Amino acid sequence: MNSMAGISNATQPPVPTVVGRASEAAGKTAEKILIRNLNFYYGDNKALKSINVPLYDRKVTAFIGPSGCGKSTLLRILNRIYGLYPHQRAEGEVLLDGKNILDPGQDLNLLRARVGMVFQKPTPFPMSIYENIAFGVRLFENLPRADIDERVQSALRRAAIWDEVKDKLRANGLSLSGGQQQRLCIARTVALKPEVILLDEPCSALDPISTAKIEELIDELKDDYTIAIVTHNMQQAARVSDHTAFMYLGELVEFDTTSKMFTTPSDRRTQDYITGRFG
Amino acid sequence: MDRYRRRRLRNSVVIALSIGATAIGLGWLVLILGTLVYEGLSGLSPAVFTEMTPPPGAAGGLLNPIIGSLMLTILAVAIGTPVGILAGTYMAEYGKYAKLTTVVRFINDILLSAPSIVVGLFVYEILVAPMGHFSGWAGAVALALIVIPVVVRTTEDMLSLLPKELRESATALGMPRAQVIRHVAYRAARAGMITGVLLAIARISGETAPLLFTALNNQFFSSNLNAPISSLPVVIFQFALSPYADWQKLAWIGALIITFAVLALSITARALSASGKSS
Repeated sequence: MNSMAGISNATQPPVPTVVGRASEAAGKTAEKILIRNLNFYYGDNKALKSINVPLYDRKVTAFIGPSGCGKSTLLRILNRIYGLYPHQRAEGEVLLDGKNILDPGQDLNLLRARVGMVFQKPTPFPMSIYENIAFGVRLFENLPRADIDERVQSALRRAAIWDEVKDKLRANGLSLSGGQQQRLCIARTVALKPEVILLDEPCSALDPISTAKIEELIDELKDDYTIAIVTHNMQQAARVSDHTAFMYLGELVEFDTTSKMFTTPSDRRTQDYITGRFG
Repeated sequence: MDRYRRRRLRNSVVIALSIGATAIGLGWLVLILGTLVYEGLSGLSPAVFTEMTPPPGAAGGLLNPIIGSLMLTILAVAIGTPVGILAGTYMAEYGKYAKLTTVVRFINDILLSAPSIVVGLFVYEILVAPMGHFSGWAGAVALALIVIPVVVRTTEDMLSLLPKELRESATALGMPRAQVIRHVAYRAARAGMITGVLLAIARISGETAPLLFTALNNQFFSSNLNAPISSLPVVIFQFALSPYADWQKLAWIGALIITFAVLALSITARALSASGKSS
């Protein structure tokens, strides 16, 4: 835990620190990402309909809603990973620190270094645990060996998996259990020191103990990162998030603080979904 | 009761037929291998690997065709593998959704099942005829044309089998596409891709028809690729059809050598793909 203090200092993104502090002083949270009038198409099929939603700096925002409502689609726009597939396109604005990332001139690799993503299925690369993390770091920074070691260690600590793997850093990442693999993937993302972390149902393939560990982790990570999480599990959304967005059939039905959403939602559909009447 | 008995009867008949069919299939294989071992093993001696093919009635070995076959195979693989892997990579990665890929895949499938004698004639037309003489180069090119479709096919298949999440998560780390392919996709598909190359080697090591029109044969030791060069399949073909008992013996030995070399390759390929699956 001692080493943690040093790391969190190092991982604070430079720009939002200023913005964040200033507006916190004003009693308001700053918007790290602002989504405005966002439409998304799979071919001719419109999957998202004029979405407007903010992601607040160093807060956790949960996206809930029935399957196929577009919550994963929305997440996949924020790092433009959808661009891997032709016929998928987004219209509108996604402002990251005020700059539209949908701009065709946006450097995608730099964007993805700032906006990390963890997927539903753990996907360690077919290389050693150490390399799984070091590889990403080396993509963006030319560091001496000792610094890379340091980064690998701090990322693994951050993802609460260090104690389990410290004696087998040379072992293949695929030899770990599902829960460990997922924490390795989180470590891999954290090691790049992103500003935003997108979590796409990160616990849906995990057992309850691993899930609890990852939820704890999210709670710690939000001190330094802006987090967006898509989840099917409403208890999870209630436990980990500060704000919750409810989506239905490609529309954003309601967005508010998590406590308000789960106690006194203003939209009838939100209430029905949360109380389990449909979905 | 009656229905039950009829069902049991039908079951025993089908089982008996299946066992019979398997026995016929395996029986021939055992018979072929048995004859080969019986006829070939008795003549196997160090001289086979150290002496040239003899004139009828004299003692000799298979050194020149063994060396010739090794050279032709290595050269064919050296030409065919890079082309095959690059084409397969284009089809599975860059051109996954391109029209060109569909066309190439169709043509490749035709090439995959094209009679090898056609390949031999083709190379005769484009290389042997213009050069004015048979040559090792022409033989290697003919064999390479057989290697390419096999490698294209396995490379594309193995890369396409990778979960899309693997590519997505590498991309989400800000890894440029070329690196995703080289460091993640190739690594994950390595066992399957190597298997494809080994299968291609197994396929060409017994090919006779394409060599008859290209590399021809050479009674003497030659490692000059610009001249006709000896190879095991062609020597087997020539010696087996000859009226001389000692030539026929050498043909058996040659067949034994090829068969066991191919067997060893197939076992290696299987072991590799098995280890690829478990890791």
